[in-house]
Amino acid sequence: MARPAEPIPEETRAIPHSHRLPVDHRDVVRIFSKLSRASLLALTQQWLAKKNRVFCRPYLRKDAEVTDSYDPDDYYLPATTHEELQETYRQLSTRKGGRREVLNRVLLGDWRTGISMYQLGTAEIQHLLDHPTALRWTAQRIVRSSTPTPGADEVTNETDHLPRFQMQTFLSNLSADITPVMRAHYLLTRVQKLPLTILRVYMHDSPYTSELSLANNETRSTGTQKNSARAVLFIFPNGSPFVFVSLATNTGQLVDADGRRLRDHVLQAIPRALSRRNVRYALVNTSFSTKNLNALLAYRGPGKTTAAPGGYSIFSDHSLSQNALDIVATGRSSFTAQEENTKEKEKDGTGEKDLQEATQPAKRTRGRPPARRKPDAEVSNDESNKRRRIAQGRFGVSGDADDGVGIEAFRVGIRDAFPGLSNGSVSVPALVDSETGSEWRPDVRVGFRGKHVFAGIRELVERGVVDGVSMPGWMTGEVEGVGEGEGEDGVTSKRGVGRVSAFAAFLGWHQGEDGSGR
Amino acid sequence: MTPTEVLDSEIREIRAQVEALRTRRRRVASVLLSNPHLTARLQQRPVREERNRRNAVDLVEQQAKRNTEAAYRACTGITAYKVRDPDPMAVDEGNVLGVRIEVFVEGRFVDTYHVLLIRPHSKHESLLKIHHHTIPSCIPVHRLAHRYLPQLRKDEAEPAEQDLVSFGRALRKELVSWHLRTAAIEKLRKRAELPTGSAKERAEQKEPVFGHIANDFINDTEEDEEDSDMMEEEGERRAPKIARLEADAGVNKVTIIWTDGRTAVAQITKDGQVFKGAVKAKDGQRSTELERNLPGRIETLLDRLSV
Repeated sequence: MARPAEPIPEETRAIPHSHRLPVDHRDVVRIFSKLSRASLLALTQQWLAKKNRVFCRPYLRKDAEVTDSYDPDDYYLPATTHEELQETYRQLSTRKGGRREVLNRVLLGDWRTGISMYQLGTAEIQHLLDHPTALRWTAQRIVRSSTPTPGADEVTNETDHLPRFQMQTFLSNLSADITPVMRAHYLLTRVQKLPLTILRVYMHDSPYTSELSLANNETRSTGTQKNSARAVLFIFPNGSPFVFVSLATNTGQLVDADGRRLRDHVLQAIPRALSRRNVRYALVNTSFSTKNLNALLAYRGPGKTTAAPGGYSIFSDHSLSQNALDIVATGRSSFTAQEENTKEKEKDGTGEKDLQEATQPAKRTRGRPPARRKPDAEVSNDESNKRRRIAQGRFGVSGDADDGVGIEAFRVGIRDAFPGLSNGSVSVPALVDSETGSEWRPDVRVGFRGKHVFAGIRELVERGVVDGVSMPGWMTGEVEGVGEGEGEDGVTSKRGVGRVSAFAAFLGWHQGEDGSGR
Repeated sequence: MTPTEVLDSEIREIRAQVEALRTRRRRVASVLLSNPHLTARLQQRPVREERNRRNAVDLVEQQAKRNTEAAYRACTGITAYKVRDPDPMAVDEGNVLGVRIEVFVEGRFVDTYHVLLIRPHSKHESLLKIHHHTIPSCIPVHRLAHRYLPQLRKDEAEPAEQDLVSFGRALRKELVSWHLRTAAIEKLRKRAELPTGSAKERAEQKEPVFGHIANDFINDTEEDEEDSDMMEEEGERRAPKIARLEADAGVNKVTIIWTDGRTAVAQITKDGQVFKGAVKAKDGQRSTELERNLPGRIETLLDRLSV
């Protein structure tokens, strides 16, 4: 039986940029109320730029006249042209004032007829760039899932080993994959400040892409708090085989079950959109998750630091790699310079002290010999210097509290064989299961938490709480599989295979004692 | 300015001066220590204190070592060195072999990269494995390692032979060609009168925080704001200018967008040869004439396209 062809072309598209949401829509209020005055003003200039005007139609006088609602006593008198409006906002940016002033002008004045999807997307991305720690991100590695044909892995003159990321192709593939399940609005943008490409997908759980359905969906479901966060952000660092996925909403609460399922669907569509014939990709979790975007870029980014964490960081900065033509042999590393400085300070200090003592000879002879006090100070100074040097050796240039790449949680599971103890007269042999012959492996988990975990451990080393010499390497953040080891659970140590599971940051193993580190 | 600010700026100036003088002292000291006759003089001339002589000899030796290292680094491009991993649980008692690769582009040493190798198998002492490295991810370091430094497989008793020298050579070729391509793109940008410098510097010069929205194809204008204004005013009277010229991180693909909406995408081989690409006008029409001109050296790409 022949059925009449359904006229569907309208509904197979993505939600266009120019679709508008009412200004009292939850998402509009949520995103716009968080932006600063400067950001809002920058955004308005961008929206009013010629190429974006189609997406961000402001409420102009001619609109008012068409609907016959022009009121000369209006507090926010609609502007006649875009240029006039641009000038208004330029003037606002030259003088000081509150955030609210601009916000109200945008929402109640010039865009009272609605905020377009484009505006909403750019506003959210702007907020993310203003606050790089606003969201929690997990890093996923993009790996080849198809078995490469023989010779495909060869490095030749033409090959490119990274997934080809052609933005337009990627986006049309993605929307073709997602459209059967949900309607969505996509905003894909290159960030200029950081080497990033950000994709924002605004998920709309409805078969329609009309403005009415966008606005209505919300009112229908406000009672159940459904769709509390429908935007999901993905970050593609340029030239790196990773993608960062935002986990939580801006307010910190997790997305509800439905939202999560939709998000997972988008996530699954990403490797498919990157794939092409004979080259298929999949996403593999790297068990790396942090709120700090800069830390993500440092540990999972395209640069030199990704595969040289912890103490190996000295290789990625210039302390060891000074120019080959630079023959200055003295004062090579930053640490030597630091040391020089402190030494000089110390010298100054002792100089003063000597002077003091010289001017007070009477005191010197009468009281306790001050010479006794001095060596003490020197010993402690020497010791703290030594500890600082050890910390320098173990952490290199990493673990600096102000470097802005702090990881806030780090957990490691230690599954090494129980080594056995010998304590003078008492000795406990390593426990071996007599039946299977396997050693007993206690399940030990260590977790660290803080603003900047590795800076904290470094400080503990410098203060002598943690022994910097016998501390295992993972405490500096450096035990991390280079490439393929990542995401797996096994790490080979020199005494056998230690089953290790790590969360949050790195794989690691442990032998011997590190009780001080907990 | 308040008096404290004046003082602060003075202090800052003096600090900078001290730092500059210190650098100068270091440089002059190393030049002095590099004097070839110094060792002989130190040994022949009488000195008042033997300790000072020994110190001086030590310093001269240190400088001589550094000079030798610099000479090797500058001349060979790839050098190896030993590192000790301070980690007490490190594999192979912390013995690490470092390979250092210098990149020399346009008369300057632009960067140094390191690959750190370990010996994970106590039985097979010559078997190396990459431990850490500072190679950017757009360089296929793992594929090269897979080819030149094969690892021991579980079912194998004897490992396949490794070729560290070829590995270093191939890796250096990749790195240098990547830098050369980057430099070529920079030159093209300069020729097209676009702001040069790293992306970060460019972003600081420019006002909008985030740049180009990729999927604004509804209105089809692809050019930057300042150019869009210009385009509307100038119209068709002037020859179209290049609005954007960008390459991906690995510089394997370059995209050129003109103010009239024409777009060219070209693929580049690693030695800097454009081998294929497409040119499309604003209305989506392919320009076969220009596409025929695409293949050739990357440096002269704009000459070929400007006809």
